[in-house]
Amino acid sequence: MRYIFIPAICVLCFVLPFFIDAYLVHVFTSIMIFLSLSLSWDMMLRTGQLSFGIAGFFGLGAYASIIAVDDFSVHPMLSIFVAAVFAALVAFTLGWIVLRLREIYFAITTLALSSVFMIFARNLSDLTGGSAGKVLYESIFGGDPIKTYWLVLSVTLAVVLLSEIFQRSRIRFAINSIRDDEIAAKCSGVNIFKYLLFVFVLTSAIQGAVGALYAQQYAFVEPESTFSANFLLLPMSMALVGGIYSTIGPIIGALALGLASEYLKLLMPYGHLIIYGLILIVTILFLPRGVYGTITEKMAKKR
Amino acid sequence: MNKKTIGYIVLVVVLFLVALLRPYAFFYGLQRGSLYGLVALPLALILGIVGLLNLAHGEFLTLSLYLTYVLFNKFGVDPAVSSLLTFPILFVFGLLVYKLVIERSLKSHHLNLLLLTFGVSIVMVESFNILWTSRPRNIYTPYATTSIKVFGIHVGAYEFVYTLLAFLVLAGLLVFLKRTRLGQATYAVGQNPKGAALVGINVKLVYAFVFGLSAALVALAGSFLSVRSSIFPQAGGPFTMKSFSLTAMAGLGNLFGIVLAGIVLAIAEEVVKSIPDYAGWADLVFFAVLIIAIVVRAFGRREG
Repeated sequence: MRYIFIPAICVLCFVLPFFIDAYLVHVFTSIMIFLSLSLSWDMMLRTGQLSFGIAGFFGLGAYASIIAVDDFSVHPMLSIFVAAVFAALVAFTLGWIVLRLREIYFAITTLALSSVFMIFARNLSDLTGGSAGKVLYESIFGGDPIKTYWLVLSVTLAVVLLSEIFQRSRIRFAINSIRDDEIAAKCSGVNIFKYLLFVFVLTSAIQGAVGALYAQQYAFVEPESTFSANFLLLPMSMALVGGIYSTIGPIIGALALGLASEYLKLLMPYGHLIIYGLILIVTILFLPRGVYGTITEKMAKKR
Repeated sequence: MNKKTIGYIVLVVVLFLVALLRPYAFFYGLQRGSLYGLVALPLALILGIVGLLNLAHGEFLTLSLYLTYVLFNKFGVDPAVSSLLTFPILFVFGLLVYKLVIERSLKSHHLNLLLLTFGVSIVMVESFNILWTSRPRNIYTPYATTSIKVFGIHVGAYEFVYTLLAFLVLAGLLVFLKRTRLGQATYAVGQNPKGAALVGINVKLVYAFVFGLSAALVALAGSFLSVRSSIFPQAGGPFTMKSFSLTAMAGLGNLFGIVLAGIVLAIAEEVVKSIPDYAGWADLVFFAVLIIAIVVRAFGRREG
């Protein structure tokens, strides 16, 4: 059943743009961008580390890709790869320091790092265009929405696949053991630092690649909007609402919140983000396992 | 002479040199730094006693700014006077936030608490957006723009009120914690909540009180800041990180250190700002200190 169902959904996703109008294609493209960020945040969370650095690595990737295309004439497709590698390298370097921190200290340091990245982007004017930002001559594929959709879809499917491999492989057991009891894990011979660094570099690379996708889609980067808190807040809310520690959870959350946010944007142009704040609070207070987590819990009880 | 005394002497010498070479940076730093310290004290109080990092701290400040704005615009209340009103209002608001949101999940993982306060912060910012739009607002009072001459240079006189307030609040907090019954109970809860509960202290009440008090103290800062700052939904945001930097740098129990750290870092910030073409890098001062302080402490803890 599963072997038919999953490929069928993938095929459906690929042919979807032929059946819906351009506006919806655009909506789905941005939902997938947030979905990938959300999954990458959840992958880091599975190790027990709460990262506030999504927007930071997203922004790094976006800048790396625009600069690669503009200053070094790299092909836009290749620039996404460049962005991922750049984000991974930065994560690898910083990881040696920040991954020794735990819990609240890790969260705050990653939040501070994002701001530091933004200050660099704003002040290295020669490279980044300063606070005015940088505009490309043309967006990727000449702005063709369907091709962009396919590209984003491919990256998203790759992220979903990574998350699943991650969930099923030996790494997951090591990661779970770290999350549940770090000292016990250490005693059983799990090299905690190695795994944490691996996950940190991997998720940062994903965030960098997604940032590049986003930047190439709009052919534009600017400190305030590229490092915007939206890219931190939305993915986090999506994962929390859908259900953390799973692949399906963030997917459900991204679809639900992504569609809801499009609707809300039309409904209230000012302050529609308030809904995300409320969702964040209500979910943590009353539905700590998210939609997917609660459903699986109920199903398990019935059996 | 111990290490601490030498540290203070070095600090005084450096500050003296800065005052000599860049007097503007020194005075602006002193004023601005007192404000940072004033805002950081309540954050340190919550962090030290409830053990919760309130990411909505800056938004309490913004709320106080808007309240002062409304009081001034609608009722003609002078900002300095309105602090008498914003103080109790924010106290009640802090209690409400604590009762509605924080108390329910005090027992859960503290990452959840962090996310919760993050949620509160977003809800507040967006509420300001809905109520007052993102247009910056200002309050004009003639006394806020007077200047005085200190050692041959002109500096704003009004901002010294932050320095005064910071030390008043600091002294007030110290007296409260050491001398009053509630203060001693608060102190005990901060040291060991389970032990405090065993000897009959109502821990939940203390937590609620500390939360309310912190919000009220931020309101005080907000009312006095309102005349010298643009009022917009994100106005308080940077103060959360700055306050946390100061707390991380000075250590939780060290209230005097927080004010001092605020002044020192703000002077450093002003010095960076005074270098031509490098003004934009001034924001880096606090973040660099925050990251260094956290990392050094984390490594120190591991070895010790």
